Amino acid sequence: MTMEILKVQDLCKTYRKGEAKVEALKKVSFSLDKGEFAAVVGESGSGKSTLLNCIGALDTPTSGHIWVDEQDLFSMKEEQRTIFRRRNIGFIFQSFQLVSELNVEQNIMFPLLLDYRKPDPAAVEEILELLGLTERRHHLPSQLSGGQQQRVAIGRALITKPKLILADEPTGNLDSKNSQDVITLLTQASRRYQQTILMITHNKNLTASVDRVFRVSDGVLTDLGGKTNEALS
Amino acid sequence: MKHYLDLVPISAKIHKKQSRMSIFCIVLAVFLVTTIFGMADMFIRSQILQAQQESGNWHIAIRNISNEKAAIIASRPDIEVFSPYGVLNYRGNLGYTLGGKNVAICGCDERYITEIWTDQLEEGVFPQTSNEALVTENAKQIMGVAIGDPIAVETPDGDKLNFTISGFMNNTASIMSGDSYGIILNTEDYCTIYPNVSDGEPNDYGIMFYAQFANTRNIQGKIADLKEQCNLSDEQISSNNNLLGLLGQSRVPFLLQVYLAAAVLFVLVMLAGIMMIASSLNSNVAQRTEFFGLMRCIGATPKQVMRLVRKEALSWCRLAIPVGISIGVVVIWVLCAILRFLSPEFFKAMPTFGFSVPSILAGIVVDLVTVLFAAYSPAKKAAKVSPLAAVSGNANDLEPARNAANTQLLKIDTALGIYHAKANRKNLFLMTSSFALSIILFLSFSVTVEFMQHTLTPLQPWTADLSIISPDNSCAIDKTELDSLKENPVVDLAYGRKFAYEVPSVTNGIEKKMDLISYEQYQFDWARDYLLEGSLESVQTDLGTGLIVYNSQNTIQTGDTVSLNIDGQSEEIQIVGILSNCPFYSAADVGTIICSEDTFEQITGESKYTVIDVQLVKGATDEEVYVIRQMVDSSFTFADERMGNSSTMGTYYCFWLFIYGFLVLIAMITIFNIINSISMSVSARLKQYGAFRAIGVSMGQLSKMIVAEAFTYTIIGGVVGTVLGLFCNKLLFGMLISYRWGDAWTPPLPEVAVILLIVVISIILAVQGPIKRIRNMSIVDTISAQ
Repeated sequence: MTMEILKVQDLCKTYRKGEAKVEALKKVSFSLDKGEFAAVVGESGSGKSTLLNCIGALDTPTSGHIWVDEQDLFSMKEEQRTIFRRRNIGFIFQSFQLVSELNVEQNIMFPLLLDYRKPDPAAVEEILELLGLTERRHHLPSQLSGGQQQRVAIGRALITKPKLILADEPTGNLDSKNSQDVITLLTQASRRYQQTILMITHNKNLTASVDRVFRVSDGVLTDLGGKTNEALS
Repeated sequence: MKHYLDLVPISAKIHKKQSRMSIFCIVLAVFLVTTIFGMADMFIRSQILQAQQESGNWHIAIRNISNEKAAIIASRPDIEVFSPYGVLNYRGNLGYTLGGKNVAICGCDERYITEIWTDQLEEGVFPQTSNEALVTENAKQIMGVAIGDPIAVETPDGDKLNFTISGFMNNTASIMSGDSYGIILNTEDYCTIYPNVSDGEPNDYGIMFYAQFANTRNIQGKIADLKEQCNLSDEQISSNNNLLGLLGQSRVPFLLQVYLAAAVLFVLVMLAGIMMIASSLNSNVAQRTEFFGLMRCIGATPKQVMRLVRKEALSWCRLAIPVGISIGVVVIWVLCAILRFLSPEFFKAMPTFGFSVPSILAGIVVDLVTVLFAAYSPAKKAAKVSPLAAVSGNANDLEPARNAANTQLLKIDTALGIYHAKANRKNLFLMTSSFALSIILFLSFSVTVEFMQHTLTPLQPWTADLSIISPDNSCAIDKTELDSLKENPVVDLAYGRKFAYEVPSVTNGIEKKMDLISYEQYQFDWARDYLLEGSLESVQTDLGTGLIVYNSQNTIQTGDTVSLNIDGQSEEIQIVGILSNCPFYSAADVGTIICSEDTFEQITGESKYTVIDVQLVKGATDEEVYVIRQMVDSSFTFADERMGNSSTMGTYYCFWLFIYGFLVLIAMITIFNIINSISMSVSARLKQYGAFRAIGVSMGQLSKMIVAEAFTYTIIGGVVGTVLGLFCNKLLFGMLISYRWGDAWTPPLPEVAVILLIVVISIILAVQGPIKRIRNMSIVDTISAQ
């Protein structure tokens, strides 16, 4: 039996700048099941980041609904939504967004610390090992390469065992070798922990490893189905 | 845009908020320096005015010189005014009377009245011909005389000296207090009537020469020069220490201590101004460095970056310095207006729109130099950024964390807040120093309140408006006199004192003369604040006990027994406490013992009073005082102290206004400085806070983070400020108070509590704005900006 983790319905986002009105998302609807790994592709300015930010509750939609694990995100109050996001949605950013004052281990544990929970050393160890960062656990972000920093960001997204991981061009700042490593890690996570992943990418080679691909064009989302490199080209 | 430096105003327009905050902190610092120095300048000016009115605009007085030498001195170019002045029967003990009252007969030149004393001539002219006299105004009211009327001064021999009134001059406090008249004759007439003169030199007429120097710079040098050239000894020269002190020209040890204290406060104010600017500018280093890194990236040389920074700093100053100075000048105008309103008789000569040039110059120089230095350090850092670092977007990470935050002991939000405060050592130093300096300034300036309370006697609760004094200081005023005064509706309080002057005494084998003075209930209550040790209750209830008044040469301690020799009889009084001060001046080497009326009567056998003091209700008129004067037995001296009191009240208002002005200003600056510093510190991390929100930090946690950061500054600054502030307080207390009055220093706990409370309230206010700003901030915009 499949279980719906993310459900987006009639999502609209309109930006107004003076007289100008830009419809970034137009009635977007789709859903993702548990363990599904999906990619969103599209031109620059097509609305894919807006979609991800709305799903991640970083931005508020103009209309429509988003359910994560059957919880309506925008029926919650700001504080409640932040805590829900922290516990249920892992976010991976293109620019890593690591806390420069915390070392690798602390950065990975950060979401748990924010919940005032005591991290399980075995779980932290497991993630460090998975990411290949055991040796560098006491390094500060400034002492790491870009690829290592993104791996820390992935570790941070995984530590709370969120049901949904959102990745906004996680390989945008990385070379091809590191990009492939990151995708492999995400795929492993999706398989091992049964986590649902929604990733934005420009790199069509990376969509080879995903289960489903969406294209966003002028704010309209089209489901291109599974593993269809041909369709993308 | 014609030049790359034109980027500065364009960038300032875009980063309006950031520029506004930098400008605001420069305005605050300029305002602080200008206002405090301006207030000090105006305070000194007002005190000089008052001193010139009260004791005359003369610098030195020379006695025992010949007329020839006087003429030589008068012709010196550095002497502006040189006038003879002599007075006969000043103390009212020689028997010269006018209309039945003692009269002081003065002789001088016209310039003494017009230039040494200004505004003294109320009506008429200085005596132009022989046998003309200026008379004090009180004679006009009491004797009913007018200009042109004849008056006759009775000499001790019973002869009459006849004069015609040429004009009236203002009463003086001493004339009113002594219940007498004063007349002024020209020098020739004065010498003519002076009795028993053989040689005819000025000194034989009790004449001294009052000198006013042409300019007030290096007066001590001029005095030394005068002494050497005219062969004058130290004894021949008296200085007007009050005025010279205010002109910064005194050598009196106590005033040197006051100058030193002023210098300490001056340095503290300068440091506070410097710290405020440096800490505020340092807080936004990150953003500015990023901007300058970008400049490097697009081809600017390090030199060009430095020029940009200097231009940016100067453009802030161009607006901030005039604004800060203008606000400071307006505040000073307002204070001077208040002073003129409160005490017009002394301060009407204060300028309405006066400028204190030294304070304005200090404001400009201190701030310009500080701004340039404070801006220099981030600029140097920015100039060092490699274009590669800037182009790769790492310009913002110029200061990577040195070590990881400690998340073991504290919750993550608090730990990060503390870490942020401690992350940049220079920032931590500047922030805590600027907080600490506010506390130090407040605690240092609070000593001046104590100084004011010690210096100005009308502040004392016992200060009398009227005193009825037994003529030969004997105990002669009956208690019925006191009772009838108490019944008068314009009398608020009336209380008597008995005096036994210079009673020989022996304590622990040491002989010393003592003034024995009796107190009643009111006076004991007022003495409570001055009790250094011992018990007021014992002295009131136990017969044969007394309190000794502190004196630096005094060796008598609580528990000692003093044997008083009263008319050959030995009477013992046991000392049960020490008072730091009392309202009476004893002769040199004479101690003071305070006892109850019963003890006084038991020891001396006297039941009558020497003095009855009267405090009037508010708004009592001259007519009502005149009625009281009529009530009192005419054999007693009726001293009207209101004029002298109002003069001291003038000084008091002046002190009060400026000293509390300083304190309020320091408190306000503390509040603004803290609010601005915290706001700037948060601004510098705004992007980071945005990222925190993106990765799941809640607003509550961010608030805790900011509060933890703010309180880290507060606690460190508070501890350092309190410790150093107490040190400065003690140092200044020693210079200004212990040195003169012998009071022991005690930690000023109420003042510490007030300033710490102000700091804590400021912090609570300070974190509100930034928290609101972060709450309203779009997370998406913040992340995409990176």
